[in-house]
Parts: sequence; structure tokens; C-alpha cells
Amino acid sequence: MDQPLSTRLISLCLISQHKLKSILSRCGSKLDLIIDAQLIKPLEKICGVTWLRQHGVDKIYKMDNQLGTTANQSKLYLIPACLSKYKCVLDQISSILSQNSSLADANCFNIIIVPKKIATFDSILESKGLYDIVKLHSFSWELMTLDEQLLSLELPFFYKQVFVEQNHSLLSSVSMSLWSLFHVTGHPKYILSLGKLSSHVMNIFQVYKESYNRDYVCNNTQEISALIVIDRDQDYGSAMLTPATYSGLLNEIFSIICGHLELNVKETKLKKGKLNFSTQENKSDKNTVMVLDSCIDNLYGEIKHRHFSEVLSVLSSKAKLLKNEDIKALGIQEMKHFVATKLQQVTLFKHNLVNHVLACETIISEMNNKFESLTQTESEMLNNRNKKNNFTFIDDNFGTDIHIYNSLRLMCLLSLTQSLSYDEYNSLVSKYLLAFGYKFMYVFNNLIRSGLLVQPTSPKLSLNISNLSDRLPKWQNSFQANANKLKQLPSNTENENSPSYVFNGGYVPLAAVLCNTLLNSESLLDMLNKLSVINDLKIGGEVIDRLNNGMETLSDKVGKMSLQNNDCCIDAKALLKILKSDSKMNKGVSLKPRSILVYVIGGVTFAEVAACDIVQTATGSKIYVASDCVASGSDIMAAHF
Amino acid sequence: MDDDDYWNTSETKESAFSFDDVLSPQEILAIGKKACSGQSEDSVFNSSNINSTRRDLVPLASLVSPKALELIVLAQSGNDLKDAMPEQHITVAVTLRRLVLGRSCSLHVHRSMKSKTELLDGAIELGDGNAILAIVCFLLQTLNKKLVHELLSSRPLALSHYVGYLHSEGKIAELTDLLTMLDRSSEAAMFQFEHMVRCHGDDVEALLRKSGNLQKNHFTQPHVDGHYIKMLTDYCKLLEWQKCADKKELRNKSSLRCLSYCCESHWHEGAGNIMSPLTLCQRQQITPLQYDWVVLNVHANANKWDIVESLFTKKNWFGRTTVSTHIPIETLLSRLAELKASEHIMATCVDKIQSNEERIRLAHKYKIHSVIAESAGKQKDRSGLFGMT
Repeated sequence: MDQPLSTRLISLCLISQHKLKSILSRCGSKLDLIIDAQLIKPLEKICGVTWLRQHGVDKIYKMDNQLGTTANQSKLYLIPACLSKYKCVLDQISSILSQNSSLADANCFNIIIVPKKIATFDSILESKGLYDIVKLHSFSWELMTLDEQLLSLELPFFYKQVFVEQNHSLLSSVSMSLWSLFHVTGHPKYILSLGKLSSHVMNIFQVYKESYNRDYVCNNTQEISALIVIDRDQDYGSAMLTPATYSGLLNEIFSIICGHLELNVKETKLKKGKLNFSTQENKSDKNTVMVLDSCIDNLYGEIKHRHFSEVLSVLSSKAKLLKNEDIKALGIQEMKHFVATKLQQVTLFKHNLVNHVLACETIISEMNNKFESLTQTESEMLNNRNKKNNFTFIDDNFGTDIHIYNSLRLMCLLSLTQSLSYDEYNSLVSKYLLAFGYKFMYVFNNLIRSGLLVQPTSPKLSLNISNLSDRLPKWQNSFQANANKLKQLPSNTENENSPSYVFNGGYVPLAAVLCNTLLNSESLLDMLNKLSVINDLKIGGEVIDRLNNGMETLSDKVGKMSLQNNDCCIDAKALLKILKSDSKMNKGVSLKPRSILVYVIGGVTFAEVAACDIVQTATGSKIYVASDCVASGSDIMAAHF
Repeated sequence: MDDDDYWNTSETKESAFSFDDVLSPQEILAIGKKACSGQSEDSVFNSSNINSTRRDLVPLASLVSPKALELIVLAQSGNDLKDAMPEQHITVAVTLRRLVLGRSCSLHVHRSMKSKTELLDGAIELGDGNAILAIVCFLLQTLNKKLVHELLSSRPLALSHYVGYLHSEGKIAELTDLLTMLDRSSEAAMFQFEHMVRCHGDDVEALLRKSGNLQKNHFTQPHVDGHYIKMLTDYCKLLEWQKCADKKELRNKSSLRCLSYCCESHWHEGAGNIMSPLTLCQRQQITPLQYDWVVLNVHANANKWDIVESLFTKKNWFGRTTVSTHIPIETLLSRLAELKASEHIMATCVDKIQSNEERIRLAHKYKIHSVIAESAGKQKDRSGLFGMT
């Protein structure tokens, strides 16, 4: 308990390791571990190969549909909770069994599913006649510390399953991760949940808490005093916009898995997504891997949240410093001392410096021509200005330098901020399908389902009167109305410390707005007033319990509102009404948390992390950011394919 | 979690005691004890009534202990043990909790419509997708389809889980029936389409056959938006073209990919010919902008700058060459620079720009010296010339 929180957060991996150990102990020895490629990097964060060998694993294979025979009889599959991958494993097992039916009783097939098995998995197993032959295990690893104050479950398939396929089976994994985290950090006093999924996550969290009440040691230290849970779709803007921070841009250009960046300068994410006209294939060699963790790479820590325009000058000043450390001027003793203590550090630093410069150069060469016009257009969209120009910009982009994900991102942003007319929508769809193939027609439906795109109705179909109001021009979209009330759209006079710098001064992420409000509000009433424009906001935690205990009237009133007892959070609008009507209740409910955990359900972006960091510095608080994964706008688009 | 944890929780205790064929050690001990404790009053009462004629019978109480007797009676009734907590009757809450916690539980105790409905509503209220999915699957097993659909159609969250389940399981026919019933047949059409695309890979013949079917049966007015119908028709046209072209590398590739192939290998083919870029362009209604873009990129990549130049420039009345393309000039310049076009071509493009300022800005940006020099000369701007690097 005496260790600082950061050390204990990193140590969460030991809990994951312990969980895995208990699974492995039930799977026998001399195992062939067959692991899905997606899970390799996260697993490396939990345990090494030696550890696996000590716990029964003999050989390790990458999961492949055409995997041939492996060394040992006992097979242990490690796969994500995706139906198709699960079925693939079952097919493989069936085919092994068809060749050697005696294996059925040998107890030699185990499947570990990350983060948990889905309700239908058992019945699928049964229907394939494999029940009892194959054992299923859920492995819910804990949040992983990717960087200082950045935690992730590293489940890149989460967004697709929850938002696109609308299967909410994995929500309980988020609840479980919070539940075990609070064993380490103590239970937060205040809980804000924003969006339906977040409220569901907190409900399930409550079930966990109550069911294991006896063993739930309530930690009094409360190193995290407030929890904010946000659904990704509550702030799609932050996911769609082009980031201006270094880490944000890195994620636009390079693929980053589990905090590991592959420095592939030839085949960047931008190049890969465009139409390829040249016939020659770029065979990429093995690339350098950069670990984006400030604890390992101090230099990264210094530049990660900076506006990209500052990064190169920081790097060059560092290079100059290095140059000044002239070792030739050192005496023999000094030299010895240098070699013993500093040399390794300096070499590492140089190595990192070179990589960052290379990454910067790549960003510049890929983005230079487009960055300015892109962010400018985005800003116009956010403020609902020059719709026609914005559309032309996007239409031209679709007609020329179209990108399989980033172009869709622009279309979605325009649809959300200024909305698309029927003809505009169709023009973009046609161009997109010509470029990438009609087979992707279903992608647009997926985007509509996850709320990123609004399909305009055909003017022919919407002639009845009820739809007339929709067709009248709107002076302000609901997007701008909300964003303005929450002060997400800064005016030009805004000071330099505004979190909006993460989007080149155009937009403040909702997560930063919520943190800022929570940290700066005088009282609960004050905060609720400031956030009254948000729908689906719920408040929970000790602050509500205290209100409940102190004044019976409130608990009566609240009791009537909530449908079931397991609702741990209550609706913010209803609470605001009560607080307003009864001034006595408002007394003594001050907030002032010192540390906040922001949990974004459906992937957090580096820009959001940077924005929270600015709020943290300005308020002298600590803000931790957690999510199911760290995503970029293009990752979110890719989930719809 | 440790095994200790597991046994300490209330639910597992309940279930551990609910095995009604197993007696606990205490109960077994009790059987021996009760047999010899005072039961004289009872035996007198019994013998005087029913058992009086049969002297050889032992009193019931000495035969089996009261506890065992209770079990015997219970066994006949088929009811649960009394010990197994009266809460077992409010099973909806217990079942939901077990589902959420991922513990094994049988849903089949919930046989009444009421408790099925309560289960579903409870899971929806909680919001645990896994529980919702499990319950929906259970309803499908135990209720007739009409009732399930009735239950789901008024519960969007459960419905979306069901739709997702059918979709991921590939039960497309059922999904179509469901969505059609709910008046959402345009979504059904799109699911059908997605399923077709995912099933048939790049098999042009199969895709062509299936999409023909889709066109007739699912992509029909007024359910499906007119534009999507057109897109499907265009898809069929492209597949037909690919069937004729019979090139392995073009199977199920996009229109622009096919166009770039035609530009590369059949550039000089005349308009009527199937492989001619122009034929494909007309057939698939490729926009002039996209056509220009493909042509530019294909020929520039192949280093055929003469074709690029002849296509995008034309002589005007005064004998001066001007650029004529649908590509916006800034985009064109930026792309030409990436393709490492000659300064001559770049200069021709920049010349097209009317505004002097804009022209000089772009000339500076792309370092087109001749234009900078010319403009500076015209304006008699020495400093502009010297600023040139």
C-alpha cells in the first residue's frame, strides 16, 4: 500500500498473470499454445515465454486457419471473443478429431477466450458435439499500463462488437476491470456515467460489488476520487478530427499495438489506405519498433502531448545538447565514470532521438500538403460555416486522393456537424464505391448503425407533412448547440492553455470538459447546472449515498425514480430538479476531487489523453485515462468493414 | 479467484445445498441420535389406532428419524429441500445475478411466460449484453417464434442483440423474415448483400448470380433507397465486364482498379472495344474527376509524361498551352510534386491560376523557379527574385 499508485498500476499485470496461472494449472502440461496474432503483444505485457514454459506450455504457434499438425497432443488456444475466430478453432479441433477419434477422451483441448466467453459459445460447443471434449476458459486480464496515467484493456475488437454489431456481451468485462482496479486504488467517491453503455457498465459493476461484498476490502486511501465513464458515441468528434499532437499524429501514420509503434516509413497507414496505381509491391523489411512509454523513453514523455509544430525544435535542441557533451574533452577517470554510468543512457537516448526524428520526417512528408487545409475544413465544419465549401473539399477528396478510412471519416464528420443532403450523400457514396468496390456498400449501413453517419431520406419518400420540419434549413445543428453550451468550440481569443490545441484550436474533447467541470465546480448543484445540456448523464457514488443517508426525503424521491435497486447511479436531470427545489440539500455537497479516472468505452484517442493532461496541469490534479484500447479515427472506421 | 472466495459467496452455498439426494454429515449423525431419544408418547398414540392389530411393527419414529421422514415425503412431492433457502422462489433475480457473474445456471426453471418476461426485462434494465443474449437464446428454445418476436419487437436492445446473433450466425433467411416483419426490409436487403459479399470472396460468377437474385427479390422499391438499387445494378454491370475481361487479377476489384488496368495495358484501344478505358468509364459512369485522377497516376507512375501532358494541356487560340482537367489545381500540383513531375509541367499548371498572389504562393511552395522569376520580372520585384532559393 505504501508504493506510489503508478507502481501499483503497473503491477496490475501480476494479477493478470495470476489469473492466467490458475487457468493454465487446469490445462495440463506439454501444451501447444496456439495464439491469435492480435493477442501476442498484450500477452507479452503479462508474461514472458519463460514464464509460459514454467507453467506447462511447450511450443507456441500463431493461430492460422491452415495450421498444420503441431508438436504435442494437448492444445491450448488463446483467442479473442470473436465468434468467427472461435468457430475457426472448433473446426480445427473437429478435423483433428476426425483423424484421431481417441483424442476425444484425452482431455487435451482447451480454449482460453479473452476477455470472456460469450453466452452463445457454450451452446455452439454443444451443437458441434464438442462439449466436454473441449474446455472453455475466460481470461479477463486487467487494465494494462501503456504509459504514465494511460491504462488500456487492449481489446481492439471491442468497438466493433459493441457499437457496430451491437452485441453488448463484453460490457461486463469493463465492469470487471473497474471492479478489480478499485481493489487496488480504493473506491471513488463520485461516479459520472455518460451514455447508455456507461450506465450499463456501472450497473454490472454494482452487481459485482454486491455479490462479492464480503471480500470487498474498501480501501480508505481513495487515490482515485472520481470516476467518469463515457460512451465513445457521446463524443465522436474527438475520434473523427485530425489530431495536432505528436502522439496523435503518430497514430494516424503508424500502426501502434499495445504501445508498440512499428516505424514503417515506406508503408504508412496513409499510403496503405489509398488507391495503389503502381504495380511494384513494396516488400517491407523488419521495422524498428518504438515503445511509446515515457517511463522507458523520457524524450517521448517530453514531446508526446506537444503540438506537432513544436516537436522538431525540441528534438533539434536535444540533439544540440548531445553534441555539447563532447567526450573527447574528458580525462581518463572521467571517461571511465562516463562509460560506467552514462554511456548506456546516452546511447539509448541517441537511439530514441533518431527514431523520433525519423517519425517526424515521415509525418511531415505525408501530411505537410494536406494538414492545413484539412484542419481548416474540419474547423469550419465544427462551427457550421461554409457548408458548400466543406462539401466541395470532401467531394474533391473522394474524387481524387481518396483514403479508405480517412475519407469516410471526413464524410461522417460533415454528416454529424452540418448534415448531408440526399444528393450530397449519394455523390460521396458513388465515388467511394467506384474507388474501392461496390462490395463495400454495407459499410455505410454499419456507419449508420453505430451513429457515425445519418442517412438522409430520399426527397421523394419524405413528402408527408410530418417530415417537413426536417427538411427546413436549420440554422444551428444540435451538434453546435450542445458543443457551444459545453464550451467545446473555443473562440479565437482563447488562451494558449486551452485543451483545444489538441485539434489545432478547433475543439475541446468532451472528456476534458467533464474533468474540468468536475474539478472546478463549487458544488454538486453547480456542476449539474453546467452539464445540464448533456443527456444520459448519471451521478453515483458516495456523494449520492451521503445525500441519501442525510435526508430521507431525497432517498424517497430518488427511490421513486430508479426502477430497480441495482441502479447505483441516478439520472442527473432528475437530481438537478430535486436539488433546485430544495436548497437545504445542496449544503455540504462539495466536490473538489483531487484525482479522476476517465474511462472511455469504445477506444480513447491520444488527443483526448493530451487534452486531459492539460486540464490536469492547469488544475493541479491527477487525471488517469483508461479505455478498452487506444484508437485513432481510422481504426474506428476500420471497425465498420 | 481463489477457491476460498468461490465457496464464501452466498450463491454457491445455496447451490451446494440444493443437491437433494445427498445428506450432510450433520443430518447423517442426526439420524442415529434421534432414534434413541424419547418417543414414548408418540408410540402409544400410534399403537392404539392403526397399528394395534399388527404387534410386530416398530413405531415409525423409531424406524426413521423425523428428518429422514421429511425427506421421504419430500422425495415423493418432487419439491425442493426446505433448507435450500426460500429465496429460491424469486429465481429471476438470482438467475440474473448468476448470469451476470458468469456462473453456471440453468434458465430452464423459468417456464412461465411471466418469469421469462421478467428475466428479459431484468437483463435489459441491467444492460449486460451477455445476459440478454443468453436469455434471448433461451426464449428461442422454449417459446414459439411468434411469441419471441412479440417480446422482442417492443424491446429494442434485446432485438438488436437478436439481429446481431442471427447475423453473426449466418442465419440470413431468418434475419430477413424478422426484419421484413418489423418493416425494416431495406436493412434486410443490406444484410443479404453483406452476407453474399462475405460468402463468395472473389468468385465473379457466383457473385453475379447472387446479386441478380438480390436485385429481383430484395432490392426492390419502395423498401430500398433508389440509390442503393442503382449501386447494385452498377455492381452487376461491373461483374459482367469482369467476366468478359476474364483476368484473374481483376476479379471483384473496384471500378477504378479495373480502369487503371485498362489505362496501363489497353490505353490505345478504341472506344467500342471492351477493354478500352473509355468503354469502362461509360459503362460504370466513372466521374470525369476520377477518370482524370486515374489516368494521371497510371501514366505518371509508368513515366509516360508525354501522355499526361497531351491529355491535360491544350493549345488555346493564342498558341499558349493551358491546363484542362477536372482535378482542382492545388490537388493536381501537390500530386504532381509527389509524382516528381518536371518543372515544365508544374509551371504550365501554375500558369493557369488567375490570381497573381496565389500563383506566386504556389510557385514558392513547389519551388517552380521559372514562374517565380517570370512573376517577379513582370512586377519588377527584385527582392522576390533574390528571395528565391
